[in-house]
Amino acid sequence: MSTKKSRTKKKARSKRARPAPSYGDSLRAASDSSLSVKARVAEIDKLTTAVCDDDKVFRATLAILRDSSEPPAVRRAALRTLQASSFSVVAFNRHRSSYLTALRALTGDEDMEIRQSVLGMLARERDGHAQQLLLAGLEDPSKALLPPEKALQLLSYDVHSEAYPVARKIVKKPPNPEAKREALRLLGGDTGSAALFESIFRNKKEDPELRRMSAAALQTLKPSALQEHAREIVLDDKDDDDVRATSLTVLSHFGDAAALGRDEKLRAKTSQLKSGGTSAMKRSAKAFLAKYHDE
Amino acid sequence: MALEVSINNTASARGRYVTWAPSPCSIRVSPPFGIPLPLSVTLRNKPGAATKVQFRKSVSGTATATLSLSLSSGARAVSFFISGIYPRASKADRDAVVQVMRGTKVLLEVPLMVRIRKNANKLTASERDRFLAAFAKLNNRGAGRFADFRNMHTEAGRPEAHGAPGFLPWHRAYLADLERELQAIDPSVALPYWRFDQAAPNLFIPEFMGTSSSLGTVSFSATNPLQFWVTDGVPGVIRRPLFNAATQAAFVIDEAATFALGSSYATFRGMEGNPHGNAHTSFGGSIGSVPTAAKDPLFFLLHANVDRLWAKWQRLNNRFDPANATTFSPATGSRVGHNLNDTMWPWNGVVTPPRPATAPGGTLASSPVTGAPGGSPRVRDCIDYQGRLANPTRLGFDYDDVAYV
Repeated sequence: MSTKKSRTKKKARSKRARPAPSYGDSLRAASDSSLSVKARVAEIDKLTTAVCDDDKVFRATLAILRDSSEPPAVRRAALRTLQASSFSVVAFNRHRSSYLTALRALTGDEDMEIRQSVLGMLARERDGHAQQLLLAGLEDPSKALLPPEKALQLLSYDVHSEAYPVARKIVKKPPNPEAKREALRLLGGDTGSAALFESIFRNKKEDPELRRMSAAALQTLKPSALQEHAREIVLDDKDDDDVRATSLTVLSHFGDAAALGRDEKLRAKTSQLKSGGTSAMKRSAKAFLAKYHDE
Repeated sequence: MALEVSINNTASARGRYVTWAPSPCSIRVSPPFGIPLPLSVTLRNKPGAATKVQFRKSVSGTATATLSLSLSSGARAVSFFISGIYPRASKADRDAVVQVMRGTKVLLEVPLMVRIRKNANKLTASERDRFLAAFAKLNNRGAGRFADFRNMHTEAGRPEAHGAPGFLPWHRAYLADLERELQAIDPSVALPYWRFDQAAPNLFIPEFMGTSSSLGTVSFSATNPLQFWVTDGVPGVIRRPLFNAATQAAFVIDEAATFALGSSYATFRGMEGNPHGNAHTSFGGSIGSVPTAAKDPLFFLLHANVDRLWAKWQRLNNRFDPANATTFSPATGSRVGHNLNDTMWPWNGVVTPPRPATAPGGTLASSPVTGAPGGSPRVRDCIDYQGRLANPTRLGFDYDDVAYV
């Protein structure tokens, strides 16, 4: 075969063998600072599988995440893609250690969204280092990496995180209403807090949202007491509509069918609410009557 | 007179749930009947019934609107098949009614349901509320059977279900197990799916999967029983959408791009990364990480869509035969639990390395409508979910946009 023919054949084979535009192009575009942020984010979103398959892609995506000079949206896309890749556990396994190390290094990142996301990911992995940072921030606000309500929320992923004492302190003296709410939510698994939740649930002066959350906590901690209080609240026309609707919901879904089926006083009140309450109350009344009284 | 109709091989009302795939049925008559035998009957849909079914004489026969059968005395039943008429699924239990006719006389009516997994964004309020009621009951303030499902999808179980070829079959079995537990509470319930490549304005509302504060705390309406959701001893759901869940899709490739990953399993299963992994990480909060994802009830709707995509891909490419490498590959050589003939943890109860040290939940729940995939399913048992190769291998579910034929 002549040299020219063989070169032509080689070129044709190489053209056939060349893969369609794929990860290489996306990776180049993701790293290209001359492109718009939107375009770069779109390319990074395509790299999920490649992160597992190709070490170069993993390292490049991690580098984007770590580079604080990159636009925040691009860094966040890199974080999302790496986290998405981590779902392919076996394939991602060889990167896991580097990934977690990188996440720990980013807990103090200047971008709040990245800081919050990273601490969330570590908290969900029950990472002791992240838990210590969050607790330290609650004890000493000058060390806080996140607002107290967020720190409490992340600590709730691990009920053995020794956060109960600081949560109780925050309930007594909340820096803001959201922090109180998250502290209460975290205490939802604390058997020592049952009395607190009963008191909140029954207190008409308390925030209705906190009362409803207390009902959820009592469902676990003291379900029979919850049923009793819920019944009283439904019968009380002076109580909050949403709390009454929640009370009817808990009776409908988790109540003692035999007892509720015989409760004529409750049935009569619920019939009133079915026609005369708020829309939430009407719906929960309707569901209650359909379940226990065939109405 | 005894005229007995069995649906899904049972005379029990709990078997009266059909899908697009043919369900095996039979009819028999025993004396004294008062009418000369053999008896010619016709099966038809009750006029005016909200949902209709179709009939076949054999599993591969032509589907018809009516079916004539000849019944003789004795215990010998005459077999036939019933299925829903795609894409018309039931909206309520018992809204389809089969009538057994002798001439113009109705001898027997059998109510049933064409029970189909639907797009969560398109459920009626009644369908939604029945699903939520069953789900909340399964959770039962953290003390219910749901705790097992949560504990199947943790750090310890990660490699059993992810990152290898068995990802899709494992999750199919997982969803079937959960759905059967829901159906044991309310048999009219089918697991809905979250179509994550589309906006879902009817899903992320207080009456359904809840709305999220900027903090990621999910709020439910006062009538929604998910307000009592508890996992790991802590009430509530943490979910922070990183996109506008009511008006936008998640950060995923769309359905067409998912199918374009490839027509053989080896390439298609890359969907584990995108759209599956991307759907998860479109949120901050529990659903964004493998160890905590199953704490969020939305997780099961997300995975129902992953399974639906697999099911649709199977139909598009005719990938139902486990012996075919384009249907599933590689058949061998993967981590244990991911090979075609491997049983899957936790249902196999194996707790010796490299399997996790515990196996929550026991065997996979049984179903009154099918014997498949069995209490300890193999990977291969979760592939032909419609029983196309062998009817008894159907798993008892179908999707509202994936036909049988």
